[in-house]
Amino acid sequence: MKLPRPLAALALLAAWATLSSFPLYAAEKPVTLLNVSYDPTRELYGEVNAAFRAQWKASTGQEVTIQQSHGGSGKQARSVIDGLEADVVTLALAGDIDAIARSGQLPAAWQQRLPNNSTPYTSTIVFLVRKGNPKGIRDWKDLARPGVSVITPNPKTSGGARWNYLAAWGSVLEEGGDEAQARDLLSRIFRNVPVLDTGARGSTVTFVERGIGDVLVAWENEALLSLKEFGADRFEIVAPPRSILAEPPVAVVDRVADRRGTRKVAEAYLAFLYTAEGQAIAARNFYRPRDAAALAAAKVAFPKVELFGIELFGGWKAAQEKHFVEGGEFDRLAR
Amino acid sequence: MNRIVLTTLGGLWLASHLAAQTSAGSASAEPASTPPPAGSSVATPEELDQRVRILERKLELEAEKSEALAKTQGQAVAGKDGFEVKSPDGAFRLKLRGYLQVDGRFFLDDDSIPATDSWVIRRARPVLEGTIFKFVDFKFMPDFGGGSTVLYDAYLEARLSKAARVRVGKFKPPVGLERLQSATDIAFVERAFPTGLVPSRDVGVQLGGELLGGKLDYQAGLFNGVVDGGLADQDSADGKEYAARLLWKPFQPADGGVPGIDLALGLAATRSDEEGSLTATGLPAFRIPGSSTFFAYRADASLAGTVRADGVRQRLSPQAWLYVGPFGALAEWVSSTTAVRRNTVVADLENVAWQLQLSWVLSGENNSFKGVVPRRPFSPQGGGTGAWIVAVRASGFEADPASFPLFADPARSVREATLIGASLAWNPMRGLRWLVDYSRVTYDGGASGAGATADRPDEQALFTRFQVAF
Repeated sequence: MKLPRPLAALALLAAWATLSSFPLYAAEKPVTLLNVSYDPTRELYGEVNAAFRAQWKASTGQEVTIQQSHGGSGKQARSVIDGLEADVVTLALAGDIDAIARSGQLPAAWQQRLPNNSTPYTSTIVFLVRKGNPKGIRDWKDLARPGVSVITPNPKTSGGARWNYLAAWGSVLEEGGDEAQARDLLSRIFRNVPVLDTGARGSTVTFVERGIGDVLVAWENEALLSLKEFGADRFEIVAPPRSILAEPPVAVVDRVADRRGTRKVAEAYLAFLYTAEGQAIAARNFYRPRDAAALAAAKVAFPKVELFGIELFGGWKAAQEKHFVEGGEFDRLAR
Repeated sequence: MNRIVLTTLGGLWLASHLAAQTSAGSASAEPASTPPPAGSSVATPEELDQRVRILERKLELEAEKSEALAKTQGQAVAGKDGFEVKSPDGAFRLKLRGYLQVDGRFFLDDDSIPATDSWVIRRARPVLEGTIFKFVDFKFMPDFGGGSTVLYDAYLEARLSKAARVRVGKFKPPVGLERLQSATDIAFVERAFPTGLVPSRDVGVQLGGELLGGKLDYQAGLFNGVVDGGLADQDSADGKEYAARLLWKPFQPADGGVPGIDLALGLAATRSDEEGSLTATGLPAFRIPGSSTFFAYRADASLAGTVRADGVRQRLSPQAWLYVGPFGALAEWVSSTTAVRRNTVVADLENVAWQLQLSWVLSGENNSFKGVVPRRPFSPQGGGTGAWIVAVRASGFEADPASFPLFADPARSVREATLIGASLAWNPMRGLRWLVDYSRVTYDGGASGAGATADRPDEQALFTRFQVAF
């Protein structure tokens, strides 16, 4: 049955009014991400999160809130395995994310999903000493001298501590020493450690704020941050001749992101770390950006250090199994 | 401050040691400011300072570790309220409680109606209760008393708000006042006649809560429906029973505390459609615990000789309590009317029961519906006296006169029963109780004799109870 003309017009008008009341772009509802990170990245991700939030809002109209959790990398990994619902993890070492992958929350080949083995920035391990370097600390061997008090976190809980440990061990091998000599050095160094914090930030507090120890074995970014925050008149950085290339990786936790429907945002968040803006933020927070232009443009005097990689130990899996598992090298020398 | 004190003391000691060396070796005196020789065990002030800082930092880290652990680890608690494990946030909780009642029943002058004097395990009830997801409670309570196993309570309750709690499962329907009082808190060993006219446990769903700042409690539920005094796990007919209760507590403070005058006035009612059979009549029988039945409807499994429920059953029960200091009073009246049929003859029969109970806490503690907690618990090593409570009661049962003789045998079922009793309870400490009570029941009717029906002989009993509850 044909509608009378006025009625048809009225129907069309009603339809148009109804359809035009819908916005052309329906903004998606706000989303929250949880980034479970290691201990010293508070400042980095504070800046990254603010920048990403603004960029995501501008490009998609969606509000995103990023919650942060910080702690020793190993401890954080265990928390995620035990059920802490992280959309992304940004931990100190690949071995910790491998452990999460073994729990089935992300694929075993996670590291190939992002460039540079999923490490958007790197760092290394240096020494932070009291101003004037009263104990004359220059190299890893000096940490083993009697009367030198060394601050480093616990390798059982802290990813940074594991980098510290492997940097010391690797320095011996790189200089032509053998396993027994490396073991002896680490044994004497850990005899000089009066307090074992659970994470790198805790060790910084111990050394810088509590005034304990002669030397802090630290992430380079943490040492540079301490100089900036607490004054170059109180501390100075000593770069050992050799140290390890520390590559802290990042990953989306697939099981959580898919269940919460946050995969798209989580992937974009990690991809942001590789953008020019993300790389500049990394440099400002004393991480060594992967991007050469960003590194060159960074107004940071990164120490000159001869770097060796985790490949010296056969990769993180081998290093973890040899040194840090129950009954491994660290347990034996800590007894 | 500790660091300053320790370093100062260390410095003073060092100084005194150096001074002693100086005065002792004056011929080859060394300057007082000479530092201790290398390898010396004497700690410098700086070393002492470092040691103190290290100790302080270790304490700090230990405290952080304990705090982090407390957030993730549950707690296990054992105490006067039972045994409990709970998650750090309290959202998940499992509690094991229980109570044991060992009764002694001694019938006096029972030559006419012999009743066996006996010790009995009256109740042996483990209680498993808890909470999941912070707002759903559950309770599971079997009873192993008397040599049998019966599931008394098994329910879930979702606490949506103070005004709305939804309970599903098997539990006490909201009807009888003394029935709703916990068996561990009643003033006498056995409850009075009104409890025989209300359901004990039933399976159903109930909405309840507190309104008007806690001054008004309400419950409304839909249950299978059980005979007076009965309990069952499933229904035998399609008809269901509606039950509702309002309890007004005019002096109840909004914060949930105990008012100085604890007055409660309530009204409960039930209504259902019952249909009994020749083998499951749907009708109650009444007796004194341990003794013989004093009222029952005719039932010989034949159509002509069996009375069964056939129609509406409704109950009405006004009820009240008053507790002021050591004084307590509890009163209830229950009317239970059931449509019955014997072959082709039908009737609505109303049985009525009532009680008035008065109690006094001799040791001065506050009396309450939920029992008396001794202020000065008893201890063999010379503690307090515990709590002593004395109570008296009167209770009556009246069968519908229309029951006789067609529906109930006047030679076996009484028209009326009246009970008077007195009790003495001693709560030496929370969770322990000893109770002794005397009761005398007199009857109208219920026995055969020349001419009109004679009266069933009076019954006297001395009951005692030893109870532990946690």
